[in-house]
Amino acid sequence: MISALQRVETARVPIGEIGGGYTDVIIKALLSADYQIGSDASFQNHLKVRQLLGADIVGARVLGPPVEVIGIHEDWRTDIYRDFWGASYTQPPDATVQLVTPIAKTPAELETWQTPDVSKFDKSLIHRWKTDTDFFVLATLNAGFDLGYELLGFERFMMWTIQARKVMHAYFEKLIQTNLKLALMSVEAGADGILIADDLAFNTGTFVDPGYLRSDYLPLLKGMVSEIKKTGVPVFLHSDGDLRSIIPDLIDCNIDVLQSCDPNANMDIPTLKQEYGRDLVFMGNIDVDLLANGTVAAVENTTRNLIRAARQGGGFILSTSNVVASYCKPENVRAMYAVAQKELT
Amino acid sequence: MSASDNSIQQAILLGNVDSISKSVNHLLHEGVAAQTILDDQLLSGMAIVGERFKRNEMFLPQVLMSAQAMQTAIDLLKPHLLKDSTALKQQTVVIGTVKGDMHDIGKNLVRIMLIGAGFEVIDLGVNVPAQRFLETAAHHGASVVCLSALLSSTMNNMKEVVDCFRGDPGLSQTKILVGGAPVSREFSKAIGADGYAPTATDAVAKVQLLCQA
Repeated sequence: MISALQRVETARVPIGEIGGGYTDVIIKALLSADYQIGSDASFQNHLKVRQLLGADIVGARVLGPPVEVIGIHEDWRTDIYRDFWGASYTQPPDATVQLVTPIAKTPAELETWQTPDVSKFDKSLIHRWKTDTDFFVLATLNAGFDLGYELLGFERFMMWTIQARKVMHAYFEKLIQTNLKLALMSVEAGADGILIADDLAFNTGTFVDPGYLRSDYLPLLKGMVSEIKKTGVPVFLHSDGDLRSIIPDLIDCNIDVLQSCDPNANMDIPTLKQEYGRDLVFMGNIDVDLLANGTVAAVENTTRNLIRAARQGGGFILSTSNVVASYCKPENVRAMYAVAQKELT
Repeated sequence: MSASDNSIQQAILLGNVDSISKSVNHLLHEGVAAQTILDDQLLSGMAIVGERFKRNEMFLPQVLMSAQAMQTAIDLLKPHLLKDSTALKQQTVVIGTVKGDMHDIGKNLVRIMLIGAGFEVIDLGVNVPAQRFLETAAHHGASVVCLSALLSSTMNNMKEVVDCFRGDPGLSQTKILVGGAPVSREFSKAIGADGYAPTATDAVAKVQLLCQA
Protein backbone atom coordinates (compact mmCIF):
# COMPACT_ATOMS: atom_id res chain seq x y z
CA MET A 1 0.00 0.00 0.00
CA ILE A 2 2.71 2.44 0.99
CA SER A 3 4.53 1.89 -2.34
CA ALA A 4 1.33 2.38 -4.30
CA LEU A 5 0.70 5.63 -2.44
CA GLN A 6 4.25 6.75 -3.34
CA ARG A 7 3.57 5.84 -6.98
CA VAL A 8 6.10 3.03 -6.97
CA GLU A 9 5.16 0.00 -9.04
CA THR A 10 4.94 -3.16 -6.96
CA ALA A 11 5.03 -6.85 -7.92
CA ARG A 12 1.36 -7.14 -7.01
CA VAL A 13 -1.14 -4.28 -7.03
CA PRO A 14 -2.64 -3.66 -3.59
CA ILE A 15 -6.28 -4.63 -3.24
CA GLY A 16 -9.05 -4.11 -0.74
CA GLU A 17 -12.30 -2.37 -0.04
CA ILE A 18 -13.27 0.82 1.75
CA GLY A 19 -15.78 1.13 4.60
CA GLY A 20 -17.33 -2.12 5.81
CA GLY A 21 -15.96 -3.70 2.67
CA TYR A 22 -17.99 -6.87 2.51
CA THR A 23 -21.59 -7.35 3.64
CA ASP A 24 -22.39 -10.14 6.06
CA VAL A 25 -24.24 -12.12 3.36
CA ILE A 26 -21.07 -12.23 1.26
CA ILE A 27 -18.83 -13.01 4.21
CA LYS A 28 -21.08 -15.91 5.16
CA ALA A 29 -21.04 -17.27 1.62
CA LEU A 30 -17.26 -16.92 1.28
CA LEU A 31 -16.33 -18.33 4.67
CA SER A 32 -18.93 -21.10 4.61
CA ALA A 33 -18.15 -23.47 7.54
CA ASP A 34 -15.57 -21.03 8.90
CA TYR A 35 -18.20 -18.35 9.47
CA GLN A 36 -18.44 -17.64 13.19
CA ILE A 37 -21.38 -16.64 15.34
CA GLY A 38 -21.40 -15.37 18.90
CA SER A 39 -19.21 -12.89 20.71
CA ASP A 40 -16.45 -11.24 18.72
CA ALA A 41 -17.73 -12.99 15.59
CA SER A 42 -17.95 -9.82 13.48
CA PHE A 43 -14.28 -8.95 13.96
CA GLN A 44 -13.16 -12.54 13.38
CA ASN A 45 -15.27 -12.94 10.24
CA HIS A 46 -14.04 -9.67 8.77
CA LEU A 47 -10.47 -10.74 9.54
CA LYS A 48 -10.88 -14.20 8.00
CA VAL A 49 -12.58 -12.99 4.83
CA ARG A 50 -9.75 -10.53 4.17
CA GLN A 51 -7.17 -13.23 4.80
CA LEU A 52 -9.06 -15.60 2.49
CA LEU A 53 -9.22 -13.05 -0.32
CA GLY A 54 -5.74 -11.66 0.25
CA ALA A 55 -6.95 -8.11 0.90
CA ASP A 56 -4.50 -5.46 2.07
CA ILE A 57 -6.97 -2.99 3.55
CA VAL A 58 -9.52 -2.87 6.32
CA GLY A 59 -11.99 -0.04 6.73
CA ALA A 60 -13.10 0.96 10.24
CA ARG A 61 -14.94 3.81 11.93
CA VAL A 62 -14.98 5.69 15.18
CA LEU A 63 -18.34 4.56 16.53
CA GLY A 64 -21.02 6.87 17.85
CA PRO A 65 -23.51 5.99 20.55
CA PRO A 66 -26.15 3.38 19.63
CA VAL A 67 -29.21 4.59 17.75
CA GLU A 68 -32.31 5.30 19.81
CA VAL A 69 -35.68 3.77 18.85
CA ILE A 70 -38.25 6.57 18.97
CA GLY A 71 -41.38 5.04 17.42
CA ILE A 72 -42.99 2.80 14.83
CA HIS A 73 -43.50 3.77 11.18
CA GLU A 74 -47.22 3.95 10.36
CA ASP A 75 -46.99 2.41 6.89
CA TRP A 76 -44.33 -0.21 7.35
CA ARG A 77 -44.69 -0.98 11.07
CA THR A 78 -40.91 -0.84 11.41
CA ASP A 79 -38.88 0.87 14.12
CA ILE A 80 -38.07 4.52 13.65
CA TYR A 81 -34.67 5.25 15.11
CA ARG A 82 -32.69 8.42 15.66
CA ASP A 83 -28.94 8.60 15.19
CA PHE A 84 -26.49 10.83 17.01
CA TRP A 85 -26.78 13.53 14.35
CA GLY A 86 -30.46 13.92 15.22
CA ALA A 87 -32.12 12.65 12.02
CA SER A 88 -34.51 9.72 12.19
CA TYR A 89 -34.77 6.77 9.84
CA THR A 90 -36.58 3.52 9.28
CA GLN A 91 -35.86 0.38 7.32
CA PRO A 92 -38.93 -1.17 5.69
CA PRO A 93 -38.94 -4.96 5.27
CA ASP A 94 -36.63 -6.13 2.46
CA ALA A 95 -35.67 -2.56 1.64
CA THR A 96 -32.95 -0.03 2.24
CA VAL A 97 -32.99 2.65 4.94
CA GLN A 98 -35.15 5.74 4.47
CA LEU A 99 -34.99 9.14 6.13
CA VAL A 100 -38.12 9.82 8.19
CA THR A 101 -37.39 13.16 9.86
CA PRO A 102 -34.58 15.46 8.75
CA ILE A 103 -32.50 17.45 11.21
CA ALA A 104 -34.21 20.64 10.02
CA LYS A 105 -37.23 21.54 7.94
CA THR A 106 -36.42 25.23 7.57
CA PRO A 107 -33.14 27.14 7.14
CA ALA A 108 -33.85 28.82 10.49
CA GLU A 109 -33.98 25.42 12.18
CA LEU A 110 -30.76 24.43 10.48
CA GLU A 111 -29.01 27.55 11.77
CA THR A 112 -29.61 26.46 15.35
CA TRP A 113 -28.85 22.77 14.78
CA GLN A 114 -25.95 21.52 16.85
CA THR A 115 -23.50 18.79 15.99
CA PRO A 116 -22.94 15.92 18.43
CA ASP A 117 -20.20 15.93 21.03
CA VAL A 118 -17.81 13.33 19.65
CA SER A 119 -15.40 13.27 22.56
CA LYS A 120 -16.95 10.11 23.97
CA PHE A 121 -17.15 8.23 20.67
CA ASP A 122 -15.54 4.81 20.62
CA LYS A 123 -12.33 4.44 18.64
CA SER A 124 -11.38 1.01 19.98
CA LEU A 125 -12.19 -0.86 16.76
CA ILE A 126 -9.61 1.14 14.80
CA HIS A 127 -7.09 0.53 17.56
CA ARG A 128 -7.77 -3.20 17.52
CA TRP A 129 -7.34 -3.55 13.77
CA LYS A 130 -4.08 -1.65 14.03
CA THR A 131 -2.63 -3.62 16.92
CA ASP A 132 -3.96 -7.13 16.11
CA THR A 133 -3.45 -7.21 12.33
CA ASP A 134 -1.13 -5.89 9.68
CA PHE A 135 -3.80 -4.54 7.34
CA PHE A 136 -3.65 -0.95 6.14
CA VAL A 137 -6.29 0.56 8.45
CA LEU A 138 -8.37 3.04 6.52
CA ALA A 139 -10.62 4.98 8.88
CA THR A 140 -13.90 6.05 7.29
CA LEU A 141 -15.81 9.23 8.01
CA ASN A 142 -17.73 11.90 6.14
CA ALA A 143 -17.32 15.57 5.37
CA GLY A 144 -20.11 18.04 4.62
CA PHE A 145 -21.77 17.27 1.32
CA ASP A 146 -22.93 13.66 1.26
CA LEU A 147 -23.70 13.63 4.99
CA GLY A 148 -25.28 17.05 4.51
CA TYR A 149 -27.97 15.77 2.18
CA GLU A 150 -28.45 12.53 4.07
CA LEU A 151 -29.41 14.50 7.17
CA LEU A 152 -31.63 17.01 5.37
CA GLY A 153 -33.09 15.01 2.52
CA PHE A 154 -31.70 15.38 -0.97
CA GLU A 155 -34.13 17.82 -2.57
CA ARG A 156 -34.28 20.15 0.44
CA PHE A 157 -30.50 20.21 0.57
CA MET A 158 -30.19 20.99 -3.13
CA MET A 159 -32.77 23.79 -3.07
CA TRP A 160 -31.20 25.39 -0.01
CA THR A 161 -27.83 25.63 -1.72
CA ILE A 162 -29.56 28.40 -3.70
CA GLN A 163 -32.26 29.60 -1.32
CA ALA A 164 -30.21 29.65 1.89
CA ARG A 165 -26.63 29.85 0.75
CA LYS A 166 -25.13 31.37 3.91
CA VAL A 167 -26.94 28.91 6.16
CA MET A 168 -25.68 26.04 4.04
CA HIS A 169 -22.13 27.33 4.21
CA ALA A 170 -22.33 27.42 8.00
CA TYR A 171 -23.85 23.91 7.90
CA PHE A 172 -20.93 22.62 5.82
CA GLU A 173 -18.51 24.18 8.29
CA LYS A 174 -20.19 22.48 11.25
CA LEU A 175 -20.22 19.08 9.57
CA ILE A 176 -16.62 19.37 8.45
CA GLN A 177 -15.38 20.48 11.86
CA THR A 178 -17.11 17.52 13.51
CA ASN A 179 -15.78 15.05 10.97
CA LEU A 180 -12.30 16.54 11.33
CA LYS A 181 -12.46 15.72 15.04
CA LEU A 182 -13.40 12.13 14.11
CA ALA A 183 -10.48 11.99 11.69
CA LEU A 184 -8.01 13.14 14.32
CA MET A 185 -9.43 10.62 16.81
CA SER A 186 -9.02 7.91 14.16
CA VAL A 187 -5.37 8.78 13.58
CA GLU A 188 -4.78 8.82 17.31
CA ALA A 189 -6.25 5.30 17.47
CA GLY A 190 -3.81 4.09 14.82
CA ALA A 191 -5.43 4.66 11.44
CA ASP A 192 -2.96 4.46 8.56
CA GLY A 193 -5.15 6.56 6.30
CA ILE A 194 -8.37 8.55 6.38
CA LEU A 195 -11.16 7.93 3.90
CA ILE A 196 -13.58 10.82 3.46
CA ALA A 197 -16.81 9.40 2.04
CA ASP A 198 -18.47 12.28 0.25
CA ASP A 199 -20.57 11.62 -2.86
CA LEU A 200 -20.45 14.76 -4.98
CA ALA A 201 -21.69 13.49 -8.32
CA PHE A 202 -23.86 11.12 -10.24
CA ASN A 203 -23.11 9.34 -13.48
CA THR A 204 -23.42 12.40 -15.73
CA GLY A 205 -21.60 14.95 -13.57
CA THR A 206 -21.59 16.80 -10.27
CA PHE A 207 -24.91 17.27 -8.47
CA VAL A 208 -24.32 21.01 -8.20
CA ASP A 209 -22.50 23.56 -10.32
CA PRO A 210 -18.73 23.02 -10.01
CA GLY A 211 -18.50 26.79 -9.53
CA TYR A 212 -20.61 26.50 -6.39
CA LEU A 213 -18.42 23.67 -5.11
CA ARG A 214 -15.33 25.81 -5.72
CA SER A 215 -16.67 28.83 -3.91
CA ASP A 216 -18.75 27.36 -1.10
CA TYR A 217 -17.59 23.85 -0.35
CA LEU A 218 -14.19 22.74 -1.57
CA PRO A 219 -12.25 25.40 0.38
CA LEU A 220 -13.73 23.91 3.56
CA LEU A 221 -12.84 20.39 2.42
CA LYS A 222 -9.33 21.60 1.63
CA GLY A 223 -9.00 22.92 5.18
CA MET A 224 -10.12 19.57 6.57
CA VAL A 225 -7.65 17.65 4.39
CA SER A 226 -4.86 20.01 5.36
CA GLU A 227 -5.48 19.45 9.10
CA ILE A 228 -5.59 15.67 8.65
CA LYS A 229 -2.40 15.66 6.62
CA LYS A 230 -0.53 17.47 9.37
CA THR A 231 -0.72 14.13 11.21
CA GLY A 232 1.18 12.46 8.38
CA VAL A 233 -1.49 10.10 7.08
CA PRO A 234 -2.78 10.05 3.50
CA VAL A 235 -6.30 11.18 2.71
CA PHE A 236 -8.58 9.18 0.43
CA LEU A 237 -11.76 10.63 -1.03
CA HIS A 238 -14.63 8.37 -2.03
CA SER A 239 -17.20 9.84 -4.37
CA ASP A 240 -19.44 8.06 -6.80
CA GLY A 241 -20.14 9.57 -10.16
CA ASP A 242 -18.43 11.53 -12.89
CA LEU A 243 -15.98 13.87 -11.17
CA ARG A 244 -13.94 14.81 -14.20
CA SER A 245 -15.00 18.46 -14.10
CA ILE A 246 -13.54 18.89 -10.60
CA ILE A 247 -10.52 16.57 -10.50
CA PRO A 248 -8.08 19.53 -10.67
CA ASP A 249 -9.96 21.06 -7.73
CA LEU A 250 -9.66 17.82 -5.75
CA ILE A 251 -5.94 17.83 -6.48
CA ASP A 252 -5.85 21.41 -5.20
CA CYS A 253 -7.51 20.12 -2.00
CA ASN A 254 -4.44 17.87 -1.56
CA ILE A 255 -6.43 14.64 -1.73
CA ASP A 256 -3.99 11.72 -2.12
CA VAL A 257 -6.28 8.97 -3.40
CA LEU A 258 -9.53 9.17 -5.35
CA GLN A 259 -11.66 6.09 -4.78
CA SER A 260 -14.66 4.72 -6.66
CA CYS A 261 -13.80 5.56 -10.28
CA ASP A 262 -16.99 3.95 -11.49
CA PRO A 263 -16.66 2.85 -15.11
CA ASN A 264 -20.39 3.59 -15.56
CA ALA A 265 -19.58 7.24 -14.85
CA ASN A 266 -16.78 7.49 -17.42
CA MET A 267 -14.15 7.32 -14.66
CA ASP A 268 -11.70 4.98 -16.35
CA ILE A 269 -8.56 4.67 -14.23
CA PRO A 270 -6.02 4.07 -17.04
CA THR A 271 -7.33 7.19 -18.81
CA LEU A 272 -7.41 9.25 -15.60
CA LYS A 273 -3.89 8.15 -14.72
CA GLN A 274 -2.57 9.50 -18.00
CA GLU A 275 -3.86 12.96 -17.19
CA TYR A 276 -3.67 13.13 -13.41
CA GLY A 277 -1.42 10.24 -12.36
CA ARG A 278 1.36 12.56 -11.21
CA ASP A 279 -0.93 14.21 -8.67
CA LEU A 280 -3.43 11.54 -7.63
CA VAL A 281 -3.51 7.85 -6.81
CA PHE A 282 -6.60 6.09 -8.16
CA MET A 283 -8.50 3.28 -6.47
CA GLY A 284 -11.52 1.27 -7.60
CA ASN A 285 -12.88 0.79 -11.11
CA ILE A 286 -14.40 -2.69 -10.76
CA ASP A 287 -18.12 -2.28 -11.36
CA VAL A 288 -20.25 -3.70 -8.53
CA ASP A 289 -22.89 -4.60 -11.10
CA LEU A 290 -20.35 -6.74 -12.92
CA LEU A 291 -19.77 -8.64 -9.68
CA ALA A 292 -23.53 -8.98 -9.31
CA ASN A 293 -24.53 -9.97 -12.82
CA GLY A 294 -21.39 -10.94 -14.75
CA THR A 295 -19.79 -14.32 -15.26
CA VAL A 296 -16.57 -15.41 -13.55
CA ALA A 297 -14.81 -15.21 -16.92
CA ALA A 298 -16.00 -11.64 -17.47
CA VAL A 299 -14.85 -10.61 -13.98
CA GLU A 300 -11.46 -12.25 -14.54
CA ASN A 301 -10.99 -10.55 -17.90
CA THR A 302 -12.04 -7.13 -16.66
CA THR A 303 -9.84 -7.36 -13.57
CA ARG A 304 -6.82 -8.63 -15.53
CA ASN A 305 -7.18 -5.97 -18.21
CA LEU A 306 -7.54 -3.23 -15.63
CA ILE A 307 -4.47 -4.32 -13.67
CA ARG A 308 -2.37 -4.52 -16.82
CA ALA A 309 -3.52 -1.11 -18.02
CA ALA A 310 -3.31 0.71 -14.68
CA ARG A 311 -0.38 -0.77 -12.77
CA GLN A 312 2.45 0.92 -14.62
CA GLY A 313 4.28 3.40 -12.40
CA GLY A 314 2.25 2.53 -9.30
CA GLY A 315 -0.43 4.90 -8.05
CA PHE A 316 -3.18 2.32 -8.47
CA ILE A 317 -5.13 0.35 -5.86
CA LEU A 318 -7.63 -2.25 -6.98
CA SER A 319 -11.10 -2.29 -5.44
CA THR A 320 -14.73 -2.30 -6.44
CA SER A 321 -16.19 1.07 -7.32
CA ASN A 322 -18.08 1.00 -4.02
CA VAL A 323 -18.11 -1.96 -1.64
CA VAL A 324 -18.85 -5.65 -2.14
CA ALA A 325 -22.64 -5.49 -1.88
CA SER A 326 -24.80 -8.33 -0.60
CA TYR A 327 -26.14 -8.98 -4.10
CA CYS A 328 -22.69 -9.66 -5.61
CA LYS A 329 -21.99 -13.27 -6.54
CA PRO A 330 -19.43 -14.77 -4.12
CA GLU A 331 -17.69 -16.62 -6.95
CA ASN A 332 -17.20 -13.30 -8.77
CA VAL A 333 -15.70 -11.68 -5.67
CA ARG A 334 -13.34 -14.62 -5.31
CA ALA A 335 -12.42 -14.37 -9.00
CA MET A 336 -11.62 -10.65 -8.80
CA TYR A 337 -9.31 -11.12 -5.83
CA ALA A 338 -7.71 -14.27 -7.24
CA VAL A 339 -6.71 -12.46 -10.44
CA ALA A 340 -5.09 -9.71 -8.35
CA GLN A 341 -3.00 -12.32 -6.53
CA LYS A 342 -1.89 -13.97 -9.78
CA GLU A 343 -1.18 -10.89 -11.88
CA LEU A 344 2.42 -10.31 -10.87
CA THR A 345 5.05 -8.34 -12.71
CA MET B 1 -47.03 41.92 -20.73
CA SER B 2 -48.53 39.81 -23.52
CA ALA B 3 -48.75 36.19 -24.50
CA SER B 4 -45.78 36.72 -26.77
CA ASP B 5 -43.34 38.04 -24.18
CA ASN B 6 -41.16 35.51 -22.47
CA SER B 7 -41.40 36.59 -18.84
CA ILE B 8 -42.85 33.23 -17.81
CA GLN B 9 -40.14 31.36 -19.65
CA GLN B 10 -37.56 33.52 -17.87
CA ALA B 11 -39.21 32.86 -14.51
CA ILE B 12 -38.99 29.14 -15.24
CA LEU B 13 -35.31 29.37 -16.09
CA LEU B 14 -34.61 31.38 -12.94
CA GLY B 15 -36.93 29.28 -10.80
CA ASN B 16 -38.69 32.44 -9.63
CA VAL B 17 -41.97 31.43 -8.00
CA ASP B 18 -43.16 34.99 -7.20
CA SER B 19 -42.52 36.27 -10.68
CA ILE B 20 -44.19 33.32 -12.38
CA SER B 21 -47.33 33.65 -10.24
CA LYS B 22 -47.65 37.33 -11.14
CA SER B 23 -47.05 36.70 -14.84
CA VAL B 24 -49.46 33.78 -15.11
CA ASN B 25 -52.21 35.63 -13.24
CA HIS B 26 -51.67 38.67 -15.41
CA LEU B 27 -51.97 36.72 -18.66
CA LEU B 28 -55.06 34.89 -17.44
CA HIS B 29 -56.58 38.25 -16.50
CA GLU B 30 -55.77 39.51 -20.00
CA GLY B 31 -57.76 36.62 -21.42
CA VAL B 32 -54.90 34.49 -22.72
CA ALA B 33 -55.96 30.83 -22.83
CA ALA B 34 -54.42 28.62 -20.15
CA GLN B 35 -53.42 26.10 -22.82
CA THR B 36 -51.54 28.83 -24.71
CA ILE B 37 -49.64 29.85 -21.58
CA LEU B 38 -48.80 26.21 -20.92
CA ASP B 39 -47.67 25.45 -24.47
CA ASP B 40 -45.94 28.66 -25.44
CA GLN B 41 -44.23 29.57 -22.22
CA LEU B 42 -44.12 26.85 -19.59
CA LEU B 43 -43.36 23.81 -21.71
CA SER B 44 -40.86 25.66 -23.86
CA GLY B 45 -39.20 26.99 -20.69
CA MET B 46 -38.87 23.54 -19.19
CA ALA B 47 -37.61 22.18 -22.52
CA ILE B 48 -34.76 24.69 -22.29
CA VAL B 49 -34.13 23.61 -18.68
CA GLY B 50 -33.94 19.99 -19.83
CA GLU B 51 -31.48 20.83 -22.58
CA ARG B 52 -29.28 22.93 -20.31
CA PHE B 53 -29.29 20.18 -17.68
CA LYS B 54 -28.25 17.65 -20.30
CA ARG B 55 -25.36 19.90 -21.34
CA ASN B 56 -24.29 20.48 -17.69
CA GLU B 57 -25.17 24.16 -18.01
CA MET B 58 -27.80 23.80 -15.30
CA PHE B 59 -27.50 21.57 -12.25
CA LEU B 60 -29.89 19.85 -9.90
CA PRO B 61 -30.56 22.81 -7.58
CA GLN B 62 -31.48 25.04 -10.52
CA VAL B 63 -33.62 22.31 -12.10
CA LEU B 64 -35.46 21.80 -8.81
CA MET B 65 -36.10 25.54 -8.55
CA SER B 66 -37.40 25.60 -12.14
CA ALA B 67 -39.64 22.63 -11.41
CA GLN B 68 -41.02 24.38 -8.34
CA ALA B 69 -41.84 27.43 -10.46
CA MET B 70 -43.41 25.18 -13.11
CA GLN B 71 -45.56 23.45 -10.51
CA THR B 72 -46.71 26.82 -9.14
CA ALA B 73 -47.77 27.88 -12.63
CA ILE B 74 -49.53 24.59 -13.36
CA ASP B 75 -51.46 24.86 -10.09
CA LEU B 76 -52.67 28.32 -11.19
CA LEU B 77 -53.59 27.09 -14.66
CA LYS B 78 -55.25 23.83 -13.70
CA PRO B 79 -58.74 25.16 -12.88
CA HIS B 80 -58.76 26.99 -16.23
CA LEU B 81 -57.50 23.98 -18.16
CA LEU B 82 -60.21 21.80 -16.63
CA LYS B 83 -62.91 24.34 -17.65
CA ASP B 84 -61.55 24.71 -21.18
CA SER B 85 -63.03 21.95 -23.33
CA THR B 86 -60.54 22.72 -26.12
CA ALA B 87 -57.56 22.22 -23.82
CA LEU B 88 -55.57 19.08 -24.49
CA LYS B 89 -55.90 16.48 -21.78
CA GLN B 90 -52.61 15.90 -20.01
CA GLN B 91 -51.31 12.35 -20.37
CA THR B 92 -50.79 10.60 -17.07
CA VAL B 93 -47.56 8.91 -16.07
CA VAL B 94 -47.21 6.74 -12.97
CA ILE B 95 -43.70 6.65 -11.54
CA GLY B 96 -42.04 4.91 -8.61
CA THR B 97 -38.98 3.11 -7.29
CA VAL B 98 -39.61 -0.64 -7.24
CA LYS B 99 -40.03 -2.78 -4.15
CA GLY B 100 -36.97 -3.20 -1.95
CA ASP B 101 -35.32 0.01 -3.13
CA MET B 102 -35.49 3.28 -1.19
CA HIS B 103 -33.47 5.40 -3.63
CA ASP B 104 -35.35 8.30 -5.10
CA ILE B 105 -32.92 10.85 -6.51
CA GLY B 106 -33.13 9.61 -10.09
CA LYS B 107 -36.83 8.90 -9.86
CA ASN B 108 -37.53 12.38 -8.51
CA LEU B 109 -35.49 13.96 -11.24
CA VAL B 110 -37.50 12.12 -13.90
CA ARG B 111 -40.74 13.17 -12.15
CA ILE B 112 -39.63 16.80 -12.21
CA MET B 113 -38.68 16.68 -15.87
CA LEU B 114 -41.97 14.95 -16.78
CA ILE B 115 -44.01 17.60 -14.98
CA GLY B 116 -41.94 20.14 -16.81
CA ALA B 117 -42.83 18.48 -20.09
CA GLY B 118 -46.54 18.83 -19.30
CA PHE B 119 -47.40 15.35 -18.06
CA GLU B 120 -49.68 14.65 -15.13
CA VAL B 121 -47.38 12.62 -12.88
CA ILE B 122 -48.51 10.29 -10.11
CA ASP B 123 -45.46 9.62 -7.93
CA LEU B 124 -45.82 6.49 -5.82
CA GLY B 125 -42.55 7.09 -3.99
CA VAL B 126 -40.10 4.36 -3.11
CA ASN B 127 -40.34 0.66 -2.24
CA VAL B 128 -43.48 0.28 -4.35
CA PRO B 129 -44.98 -3.22 -4.73
CA ALA B 130 -45.99 -4.37 -8.23
CA GLN B 131 -49.67 -4.45 -7.37
CA ARG B 132 -49.65 -0.78 -6.41
CA PHE B 133 -48.27 0.23 -9.82
CA LEU B 134 -51.05 -1.82 -11.41
CA GLU B 135 -53.87 -0.39 -9.30
CA THR B 136 -52.70 3.20 -9.71
CA ALA B 137 -52.23 2.89 -13.47
CA ALA B 138 -55.75 1.43 -13.77
CA HIS B 139 -57.29 4.07 -11.54
CA HIS B 140 -55.72 7.01 -13.39
CA GLY B 141 -55.75 5.58 -16.89
CA ALA B 142 -51.99 6.00 -17.12
CA SER B 143 -50.38 6.09 -20.54
CA VAL B 144 -46.93 5.17 -19.26
CA VAL B 145 -45.52 3.62 -16.09
CA CYS B 146 -41.92 4.51 -15.17
CA LEU B 147 -39.95 2.15 -12.94
CA SER B 148 -36.74 3.13 -11.17
CA ALA B 149 -34.11 1.08 -9.32
CA LEU B 150 -30.60 1.87 -8.17
CA LEU B 151 -29.47 -1.57 -7.08
CA SER B 152 -28.67 -4.66 -9.10
CA SER B 153 -30.63 -6.65 -6.57
CA THR B 154 -33.80 -4.58 -6.77
CA MET B 155 -33.84 -4.03 -10.51
CA ASN B 156 -34.95 -7.63 -10.82
CA ASN B 157 -38.20 -6.59 -9.12
CA MET B 158 -38.98 -4.59 -12.28
CA LYS B 159 -39.73 -7.86 -14.04
CA GLU B 160 -42.46 -8.66 -11.53
CA VAL B 161 -44.11 -5.32 -12.30
CA VAL B 162 -43.89 -5.88 -16.06
CA ASP B 163 -45.28 -9.41 -15.68
CA CYS B 164 -48.21 -8.11 -13.60
CA PHE B 165 -49.12 -5.61 -16.31
CA ARG B 166 -48.71 -8.09 -19.15
CA GLY B 167 -50.88 -10.59 -17.33
CA ASP B 168 -53.73 -8.15 -16.76
CA PRO B 169 -56.10 -8.08 -19.77
CA GLY B 170 -57.06 -4.45 -19.15
CA LEU B 171 -53.51 -3.16 -18.72
CA SER B 172 -51.37 -5.45 -20.83
CA GLN B 173 -50.80 -2.70 -23.42
CA THR B 174 -49.65 -0.09 -20.85
CA LYS B 175 -46.25 1.19 -21.82
CA ILE B 176 -43.49 0.58 -19.28
CA LEU B 177 -40.24 2.52 -19.16
CA VAL B 178 -37.35 1.46 -16.91
CA GLY B 179 -34.28 3.33 -15.68
CA GLY B 180 -31.65 3.53 -12.97
CA ALA B 181 -27.91 3.06 -12.68
CA PRO B 182 -27.68 -0.74 -13.19
CA VAL B 183 -30.44 -0.90 -15.82
CA SER B 184 -29.54 -1.34 -19.48
CA ARG B 185 -31.32 -1.54 -22.81
CA GLU B 186 -30.64 -5.29 -22.87
CA PHE B 187 -32.15 -5.70 -19.42
CA SER B 188 -35.25 -3.74 -20.39
CA LYS B 189 -35.74 -5.97 -23.43
CA ALA B 190 -35.13 -9.13 -21.40
CA ILE B 191 -37.88 -8.28 -18.92
CA GLY B 192 -40.33 -7.18 -21.62
CA ALA B 193 -40.38 -3.44 -20.86
CA ASP B 194 -41.19 -1.00 -23.68
CA GLY B 195 -38.19 1.22 -23.20
CA TYR B 196 -35.12 2.21 -21.24
CA ALA B 197 -33.84 5.67 -20.43
CA PRO B 198 -30.27 6.23 -19.22
CA THR B 199 -30.91 9.82 -18.03
CA ALA B 200 -33.83 11.97 -16.89
CA THR B 201 -33.89 13.96 -20.10
CA ASP B 202 -33.88 10.77 -22.13
CA ALA B 203 -36.79 9.55 -19.99
CA VAL B 204 -38.92 12.51 -21.05
CA ALA B 205 -38.17 11.92 -24.73
CA LYS B 206 -38.94 8.21 -24.35
CA VAL B 207 -42.22 8.86 -22.54
CA GLN B 208 -43.24 11.27 -25.29
CA LEU B 209 -42.46 8.62 -27.89
CA LEU B 210 -44.30 5.91 -26.00
CA CYS B 211 -47.36 8.15 -25.72
CA GLN B 212 -47.41 8.52 -29.49
CA ALA B 213 -46.93 4.81 -30.15
